[in-house]
Amino acid sequence: MSETTFMGVEREKIDWKPVIDYAKCNFCMECAKFCPHRVFEIRENEEIKLIVKNPFNCVVFCRACSKTCGPDALSFPDKNETSQMIREIRKEAENNG
Amino acid sequence: MVEKYAVLPCNGLDKCAGVISREIALRLCGEAGHEIICPVFSRIAEVKYRKIISEHPLFVIDGCPTRCASKLAVEKNFKISNKITVTEEAKKSGIELNDTLQLREKEQALIGIILNDLMNTGNKVTQTIEETGVSCHFDYETFQKGKFLFRVPVNKEIFFNENDCWAYVSGNRARIGVTDFVQQNLSDILFFTPPEMGAEIDQFGEAGEIESSKSVFELITPVSGKVIAVNEALIQKPELINENPYELGWIADLELTAFENDKELLIGFDKYFEIMKRKVNDLNG
Repeated sequence: MSETTFMGVEREKIDWKPVIDYAKCNFCMECAKFCPHRVFEIRENEEIKLIVKNPFNCVVFCRACSKTCGPDALSFPDKNETSQMIREIRKEAENNG
Repeated sequence: MVEKYAVLPCNGLDKCAGVISREIALRLCGEAGHEIICPVFSRIAEVKYRKIISEHPLFVIDGCPTRCASKLAVEKNFKISNKITVTEEAKKSGIELNDTLQLREKEQALIGIILNDLMNTGNKVTQTIEETGVSCHFDYETFQKGKFLFRVPVNKEIFFNENDCWAYVSGNRARIGVTDFVQQNLSDILFFTPPEMGAEIDQFGEAGEIESSKSVFELITPVSGKVIAVNEALIQKPELINENPYELGWIADLELTAFENDKELLIGFDKYFEIMKRKVNDLNG
């Protein structure tokens, strides 16, 4: 299910995942129900009932789960910084290759 | 907002944004003669509103991204003609809503801004398809999975990103849109929010949204550029994206601003077709 690379870069080298603001999250679980990549995990019996379990399953630049979030509790890294990081990793790989 | 609308607010008492949606609906109906659809009563007595819905386009006011009013419209098979989300309007205006259900000064200011915007919607300047000079008719390679057919256009001037969006580059302009992978996964597309005319968007930035009963998808633009046209036909007929997202279902035209740089993170038909097939197989087993 998880992407192994994105634009030729190992997915695990790219910092792109949702961050849950627990001060805002009301554990409605809309994001977990929505995400087909199983990025989130619901923990019914825990105090923190929702965590980001599989960050590297998250599709780079996708923020669709945040569109389902009523209390606006999900945030993502800056897109420009992320694309710049991808370019740098690719350049480094080219120079080393 | 020049037509007479049937107005469906979320009316939610869970958050301040819901109370704001209710207030906007009341003011639209009281001051501008639109017709209100009560979301609570319409659940149990839909027949009361059937005539209003059949005679007027539907304007939905969601309080927050949970989109309860939109979901209700879908559930009742009401066609949405226009919509806003209060929390998004608040963000655009730099207003932070309070945590209570009270409408204070800031919330009243937001209501005023939204109402003013709605009243002036008819004055927005847009361009039509013909004015941009880009036309799209393509040959396709197809991939079938069960009953679903996934087309990808074969053309050297079409570039893709790995977020399932395409750009057809012609001179210093590009037409952008989503691929069949997106529209098949969203299923019936019910609403289209175009990017703003004149907006300058960086590569991988958001260039409009499309929405189905399943989800909202933001188009992640493959190329950087200034929005010079949007596909207005999608506002009335978002289902054109389901019919063909590469031709009549295009999203916007951009004047390119950094294409040589953007190309580094784009792929052509061969690579995208393989990636799409893998994604389809991953999602459908």
